[in-house]
Amino acid sequence: MQLNDSNVGRSRTWLIALVCFLLQVMLSPHLGSSMGFGRINFALIFCAIYSLSVGGRSAVYYGFLSGLVFDFVSTGPIGLMSGLLTLAGFVLGREERNRFADGYVGVLSAFGVVAFLVSVTYNLAMVLLEDVSVLDLIMLRALPTFAFTFLAFLPFAFVRVRASAPGRGIGTSRGLNSSALSSGHYDISHIRNKP
Amino acid sequence: MPKGSAHSSSKLRRNESTGGQGLLTFALVVLSLVLFTISVRESDTGLLHTMRNVTQTIVSPLRIVGAFVTSPFDGITNIYRNLTADTETLSELKQENERLSARNIELEEAQLTAERLQNLLDLQSAYNLQSIAASIIAGSLDSWSQTATIDKGTAAGLTVGMPVVESRGAAGQVIDCSATTSTVRLLTDASSSISAMVQASRAQGMLVGSVDGTCRLAYIRTDQTINVGDIVVTSGLGGVFPKGLPLGRVSVVESMPGSSYYDIVVEPFVRPGLLEEVLVVTSLTEGQEASAEDIQVADNADLVAAGGTPTEITPEENAEGTEGEAAEQQTGEFYVDENGQVTYLVPETTTAEGGGETDAVE
Repeated sequence: MQLNDSNVGRSRTWLIALVCFLLQVMLSPHLGSSMGFGRINFALIFCAIYSLSVGGRSAVYYGFLSGLVFDFVSTGPIGLMSGLLTLAGFVLGREERNRFADGYVGVLSAFGVVAFLVSVTYNLAMVLLEDVSVLDLIMLRALPTFAFTFLAFLPFAFVRVRASAPGRGIGTSRGLNSSALSSGHYDISHIRNKP
Repeated sequence: MPKGSAHSSSKLRRNESTGGQGLLTFALVVLSLVLFTISVRESDTGLLHTMRNVTQTIVSPLRIVGAFVTSPFDGITNIYRNLTADTETLSELKQENERLSARNIELEEAQLTAERLQNLLDLQSAYNLQSIAASIIAGSLDSWSQTATIDKGTAAGLTVGMPVVESRGAAGQVIDCSATTSTVRLLTDASSSISAMVQASRAQGMLVGSVDGTCRLAYIRTDQTINVGDIVVTSGLGGVFPKGLPLGRVSVVESMPGSSYYDIVVEPFVRPGLLEEVLVVTSLTEGQEASAEDIQVADNADLVAAGGTPTEITPEENAEGTEGEAAEQQTGEFYVDENGQVTYLVPETTTAEGGGETDAVE
């Protein structure tokens, strides 16, 4: 069962969303131009952070919205990234728990697979619209985008994993942790289920 | 509530939640596909594109700020890119660099040639020279003489004795002609001798070459005023060189005890090793030769040296040319900078009329 702490959770979610939006608009195009064809996808990073921290239906919503923002500020077809991030939010947020508490391996592997698929699929969709080489798309655009996005996700993952580490939150042995606090969701089902 | 029952209840709720998530995901994916289809099919003035344009306009200030903030990173990534460039890229860049360097040298050479030719044209215009242009094709074949071979000979109308000028002034004299080439004795050659005078004091003498590459201005009496830095020009006496062509600059003036003449060292403007294009003066026009006054001054100098009395020059005599005709002196004006570069002041009328006749340099 989930309980929303609207004050803390929403503000932190919006803060991360704002940071990712600013980075997407201000940093990504310019850093990308210096690094070849790869572009850091901060919309995907925000979607992944939220989905891996909270998950559930809201992760799907946030995935869709962040993708839609990405579509509007980019030059690609509108609806493509929103659809992909909707699916990403669904896949990453299925467990509806703070997966950062599990450590780096699970989070990074999950994000890596999703980021790779999103990057490749997004670029492959360009084949439908333009006469371009699939190999070039994958090698010159999809893989660099995946690599840069994965690297950009690491600091976020580091912060989230550190914040979710045992002993940093209250009642860690019972499932409540600082990450859950920060995301504004509390799983109190185990309290109610006690005999 | 039993523990097993609670667990199955939680699992059931999760399944329900996941089912709702799936439906929501499906709905939003369908919505995305609809948006995708519309955005691809609609025109640039469609609703989605208009919304995108508005969004882009709103975020454009952020992008400008982003460009400013990330500008230092561009340099860093460029350095990284240069450091990690593969061998093929480096090889291509190296070849491109060599090609551009060679091209740059060609262009610089062309510019220098154009400047030299322009100077020659200025010289030709300033002195109204009847001349034939020629290129130096060889230098001295031995270490004793200072000569140069030009690519024009008797076939082009050249004959022995014709003066040769370069953009810096008089260069020498043709001493040998074949059908297609000619040999020019440069004024620095030890056997070279050109009638000259000091521009400031009008003192007349002979500019003779020497083995050390400098020239000596001989037969300048010690009662005349000569200063270091004075410009030496051709006097026009002898009827070979046009009057007033720059020759060099006085670098040393010495007066030996008991001697009637100065020992004057002249640093020639012409640099024998740097000659490339020259003009061979085929004939002198009226006014290019020495005037009656110049001839009289030279004669008086000889008389004084021999212990005689100089004769006065009347205005009538001065007005007569060497052939007894009134002729306007046609000597060009020039100035010399600190580096010995001679720049000619081309008269507007001469320029407009095209000056003398000169063949194109091949």
